Amino acid sequence: MSGYEVELARARRDIGALEVMIGRNERALELRVRLAYRQFHLASLTEDEVEFERLGKLITTLIDDFGPLEDVCLLKANVDARFHRLDEARQDLSMCPPLVQRRAGRAILAEVDFQQGRYAEARHAFAMLAEQERTWDVLARLAHWESKLGDPDEADRLYEEAEDQLTAKEMRSFAWVELQRGDLALARGRFTNAQAHYQRAAAAFPGHWLTDQRDAALRIAEGKAHIAEALLRSVIPRCPKPELKQALGELLTSLGKTEEARGWLEKAAAAFLQSVQEGGVHYYHHLAELYADGLGQPAEAVRWARKDIAQRSNFSTQSMLAWTLLKNGEIAEGLRWIRVALASGVRDAGVFATAAALCRASGDAANGEQYDRAAVAINPTRQHVHIH
Amino acid sequence: MADHNDPNAVNSIFSDINYSAADLYDLFGFPTDEGRAALLALTFAATPKTGELDGDMLYRLLVTSQPRVAFPEHDDVNLDTVLRYFQAVKDKYLGELTPAEIRVTTTEDQHARVQFFGFPCGYFSTTVDLNRIVSIQAPDGRVISAFIGGRDDAFFNDLTGFFRSINYAPQFYHVPHTMTEARELPIPKTLLELDGNDLFNFRPEFPTWGFMQRDGTTPKLQLPPGPWEWRGDRFKKDANGHYRFVYDGSDCRAGQNCNAIILEIPHAFITPDPGANRIVNAWGESWVRKATGKVAAIPDNQSWLEHPWKAWRAQSLDEELRNYKLVDTDGQPFADAGLSEREDDRQLGANNFWLGPHFIKRLAHLGWGFGPAISALGLKCSFDHDNSPVSVHRMYDSALAAFPRVRQTLFQPLNMPDESWNPKRLNIPLRRPFEIFIPNVCALDMDTTGTWPFGRRLEDQVATRFLSLFLDMTAELNGKRYHIDMLGDPALWASLPIEPKTPPNPLKNDKEFLPHFPYLAEPWPEPGQY
Repeated sequence: MSGYEVELARARRDIGALEVMIGRNERALELRVRLAYRQFHLASLTEDEVEFERLGKLITTLIDDFGPLEDVCLLKANVDARFHRLDEARQDLSMCPPLVQRRAGRAILAEVDFQQGRYAEARHAFAMLAEQERTWDVLARLAHWESKLGDPDEADRLYEEAEDQLTAKEMRSFAWVELQRGDLALARGRFTNAQAHYQRAAAAFPGHWLTDQRDAALRIAEGKAHIAEALLRSVIPRCPKPELKQALGELLTSLGKTEEARGWLEKAAAAFLQSVQEGGVHYYHHLAELYADGLGQPAEAVRWARKDIAQRSNFSTQSMLAWTLLKNGEIAEGLRWIRVALASGVRDAGVFATAAALCRASGDAANGEQYDRAAVAINPTRQHVHIH
Repeated sequence: MADHNDPNAVNSIFSDINYSAADLYDLFGFPTDEGRAALLALTFAATPKTGELDGDMLYRLLVTSQPRVAFPEHDDVNLDTVLRYFQAVKDKYLGELTPAEIRVTTTEDQHARVQFFGFPCGYFSTTVDLNRIVSIQAPDGRVISAFIGGRDDAFFNDLTGFFRSINYAPQFYHVPHTMTEARELPIPKTLLELDGNDLFNFRPEFPTWGFMQRDGTTPKLQLPPGPWEWRGDRFKKDANGHYRFVYDGSDCRAGQNCNAIILEIPHAFITPDPGANRIVNAWGESWVRKATGKVAAIPDNQSWLEHPWKAWRAQSLDEELRNYKLVDTDGQPFADAGLSEREDDRQLGANNFWLGPHFIKRLAHLGWGFGPAISALGLKCSFDHDNSPVSVHRMYDSALAAFPRVRQTLFQPLNMPDESWNPKRLNIPLRRPFEIFIPNVCALDMDTTGTWPFGRRLEDQVATRFLSLFLDMTAELNGKRYHIDMLGDPALWASLPIEPKTPPNPLKNDKEFLPHFPYLAEPWPEPGQY
């Protein structure tokens, strides 16, 4: 069995054993908290929304039965932040006021700040946390900030330092950091470097679908579409994430396989919409992208992008809204939003490319050229590929 | 964007910390072969299972041998004296001292690779079977007996009682890992239950509370919301006027195994001059392989410069060790749990001289808890607690303020129960607490039996002996000087107004030790392992 399969099996076995023990004593608080954390572990491994739903129920019943315990609130905040329920994440932490002062709570709050466009506050908080103790997770958060708004070389150095904190008992975390380093290299058009990091991730934690997904993105950027197609087709049965179907659909579109592509894109759209219908907000971004590009319904794309930005206004959602507005022919408003995104100081080739396209569409060739150069300076390959 | 980029999403955070092979239990050390060899036994968690070693771990046994040196300033001791002592230890351990080392790693096919560094005969290595007594032939012709594998855990201790005495909440309550302030709750530490202490007093209706069960679980309660406090002013007494002991003498490690590295090493292998170097200092370390060490060709970036001891360590690491991370150390029993509060950053092994001032403050903090309880029982106490009638919760910010309280506790020679520890009747000074705990090494005196504190024999009840630090060793009971085994005497407890009438900890291990190498008892069958 691969490392991924072993860990998956262990998580399931632990969950089964805990459920049996809890069956004998439902008031066994520590076992129930442990079960919730193991369920979180399983859900994080698979990224299966069904597993996250189970986790949500465990958390809810724990809070109902025992009140807002600190570690349970922390777990809930983690999950809510992950699913873009940012105000809820804040609320979760405030249920246990001391959490707001603790490292784990401060890290989540800083992440929320970042997501909601309070970049300086987020940077300050990450830096303070790192100054107090250079734990791998804080270093990785700081590295991510640097990768978007600061110095990508410093980001890579911080990721490297984070790796140095990890032990052989944390190979999945190590692989995850390697994937971030690979993404960083890919965003700069450094394909060989990206491939090396992805290969190290694969060696560290073999069999993980996440690594194959990233490898597929690299292959798309390299123009090796057929390899990417094969990779995505192999990942989809292992991971139920609709984002992967979206990625495959878009890839097939680019290969001229429009009929099959449409099928995958519609499956992705149906899953996204189902999630929204059930109260989810984390697929707004994907819906905007899907309607703007894959499905060619720009007005619908603008609608979802606006909903996304209402949740979390940051350079990413601002840029997406600008892109959908461009697609929908609303150039003036698109320009306004891309300027807001650029004002963040973001150093992202994709954002610059959107700015260049909008400027050209507005007849401003000079600025279009300038932003184009900025994009190429970051990523000379002009291949801006990112599969979520 | 950081949509799916949260490091916690891939981190097994809290409530999910696995039983770890890095968790060192004990280091035993005593002379054998009439003082011509030293037995060293490093025990640690039996994971992945008893008799099977974790391939990502590296264990070190560090050894030096030196002459016995008497502390020169016997009668005129003050804070300056002790700080100078700590400084001298620091200079020694950062200076000329280069310990020899026995390093154990595990091969893929579950054999132990044993490397010897820095011994007079030079470097050599060998690979040995696990779970078998083997003889290792050294280049100088000497033979080292080795056993690496699973044994019965040689520790016998009322851990729950100890945790109750220091108000260690995670043993009794569900305490999230984030709540570091809720580990030792801020009420007086004590040996006798406090009247009205609802947080820790024994609950007859819940006798399993805080005791680990056969299935590996420990029944606990939900931590009540703070503030956690005790507003009483006396020890609890029952209708007969008897105090309630926080200990009940249970062996909380009964039926449990450990993995162990057990070596019987000729003294002449350790030092070229065993006649002069009568002390063998030893300590153990566990290291876990870094992730970067597991995946080839990853550059290693040493960037841990925020603490001086870490910087020092980084400089001194060899090529193999750079691929590992120090996790735990073990020299003296209770140096970690009792005195360093199990802080990760205080896992310094012999190099704990940095903690000298902390040691004084912590000892004073414990003294305010245990001292009044000892006095209440009618025993004489070494800690100056101003005749407080009940235990007090007091923390110190400065060693200067704490020192006058602990002066006697720190410096008093610890009387032995009889002369059996010194079979040659040599002029060997009694050991004193400050020199026992700093540096954090097991210091075997090769002219003694090696019973604690002149080493550590398997049968030593070190937890009870640790409590005896707080006895006034100048006092007498029934015409005999107080000594380190006095609190282990059932007759004493039978005579005291206390329930239950038991020494604090079990008097012997749950399995008989062997009279020959490897001395630790055979392991319990696997189903007996929790």
